[in-house]
Amino acid sequence: MRTFRGGLTIGLAVAVLVAAAAITYERYDTRTLKRTQRRGEVLCGVNKGLPGFSIPDDKGNWTGFDVDFCRAVASAIFDDPSKAKFVPLDASERFKELQNRKVDILSRNSTWSMSRETNYDLYFPAVAYYDGQGFMIPRSRNIDSALDLNGSKVCVQSNTTTQLNLADYFRANNMKYTEMKFDKLDDVVKAYDSGQCDTLTSDASQLYALRLNLSKPNDQVILADIISKEPLAPVVRLRDDDWMMIVKWTLYAMINAEELGITSKNIDEALKSKKPEVMRLVGTEGTYGEDLGLTKDWAVRIIRHVGNYGEVYDRNVGSGSQLKIPRGMNQLWNAGGVQYAPPIR
Amino acid sequence: MTKLRHLVWMVTAVIGLMLSTSQGFAQSPDADEPGRVPDAGYQLDPEWQKQVVYYRTTEAPGTIIISTAERHLYLVQGNGRALRYGIGVGREGFQWQGLLNISRKAEWPDWVPPPEMIARQPYLPRFMAGGPGNPLGARAMYLGTTVYRIHGTNQPDTIGTAISSGCFRLVNADVMDLYDRVPVGTKVIVRQKPQL
Repeated sequence: MRTFRGGLTIGLAVAVLVAAAAITYERYDTRTLKRTQRRGEVLCGVNKGLPGFSIPDDKGNWTGFDVDFCRAVASAIFDDPSKAKFVPLDASERFKELQNRKVDILSRNSTWSMSRETNYDLYFPAVAYYDGQGFMIPRSRNIDSALDLNGSKVCVQSNTTTQLNLADYFRANNMKYTEMKFDKLDDVVKAYDSGQCDTLTSDASQLYALRLNLSKPNDQVILADIISKEPLAPVVRLRDDDWMMIVKWTLYAMINAEELGITSKNIDEALKSKKPEVMRLVGTEGTYGEDLGLTKDWAVRIIRHVGNYGEVYDRNVGSGSQLKIPRGMNQLWNAGGVQYAPPIR
Repeated sequence: MTKLRHLVWMVTAVIGLMLSTSQGFAQSPDADEPGRVPDAGYQLDPEWQKQVVYYRTTEAPGTIIISTAERHLYLVQGNGRALRYGIGVGREGFQWQGLLNISRKAEWPDWVPPPEMIARQPYLPRFMAGGPGNPLGARAMYLGTTVYRIHGTNQPDTIGTAISSGCFRLVNADVMDLYDRVPVGTKVIVRQKPQL
């Protein structure tokens, strides 16, 4: 009897422990950095093919803004951008795959919204790219504000948030429009290219990409007006604060580097700087890198291998790329935009 | 050996002094091609074409903001937007940043390369009347009491580069457009790349 009871108690205790461990594992993942270091690479969920953001060439070499951000994280940890491994994910599976630990980080043109954080137990550390809905018009229309679009025929993809934003914007500004909607984006573009609409609306980053494939790209302009908020951000699992901090400060290091004038070309010069803000970023003063669980030169590694925010922007989506998207909201806060990083201090 | 070193230092110092005191150094492009008439059909890269862009600023509409690192000149329109022009900027020398005002405007300005510039580029003319082949281009807007100005160019292919010695160059069509939009007294804010 005694042994039976004792066995039962032990059995129950084990069961409770196992259950608690399982729940902890399920709810709290606080070991992403350790697993990443043991594995020797950062697993990064990316878009399967989006020009400017993440796209592989025929040899499997990835390029793009989102791809470079992962390389920056890999550089901070391993001093080697090639330690970022890219896992292409569909839009529908991306958040589940991050939750299931198939990837360490999602860097996949994902809009930060409240429900995405609360429903999936995920966390968006900081905005990497401010996108939003805009309008493309033929240059010959000679319009420079979306408020001049009253009475337009607007090409739009049906059953999208884009369509809803369009309706809201025109209603709010007392303008009329005729909707020319199509199920497929290809058909939206064809309709615009053949002159069936006065304007085409979609997310601004997409408008620049679509413009490349029109018959006369140079005759099209994209208005500066942005009518919706689409803040694109990397994503990590909730409750792994150490990992989240690394991802967040990787981005902020890149933005601060641009603000301080530190580039991949002058990084060695920056290491000799006597300017306090520069010294804190490059690690010649303070223990900011160590406090993050990394090394003193964490930011130097990022800037040397990948570059500052502006360099990454220009190379992938800006003036140095095919897309040629003006910096707009993604310009630094003190140069006309809203990109703003808290100080390293 | 010591003598040689002295000589090198002397020569360097003299050149440095010449450059620092040279007003005209700042007055016009370095690799000038006076007499060259710009190709009317020249098309700027999209990055340098005049366009309305998103621009958040606390400066009043009508203010000009020049970012030398970006090679852009912004004319603030208010409401979060600005008219952006591509510019060519100085290669060196002009590190000044802050606020100036447009003190004078001129159409088809004459060009008088100063002696220091003639010394460096002896082939330059001593005087050149305003016109299509003039390196100062179609318009000039003088900044305060400095030797700097916003002007046109007869070399549209230098927009987006840093080859002149401190002036801000726009293609003629753009400088004419800007000239008509801004009066004497306009605030001009110059922003430089941060120093390490």
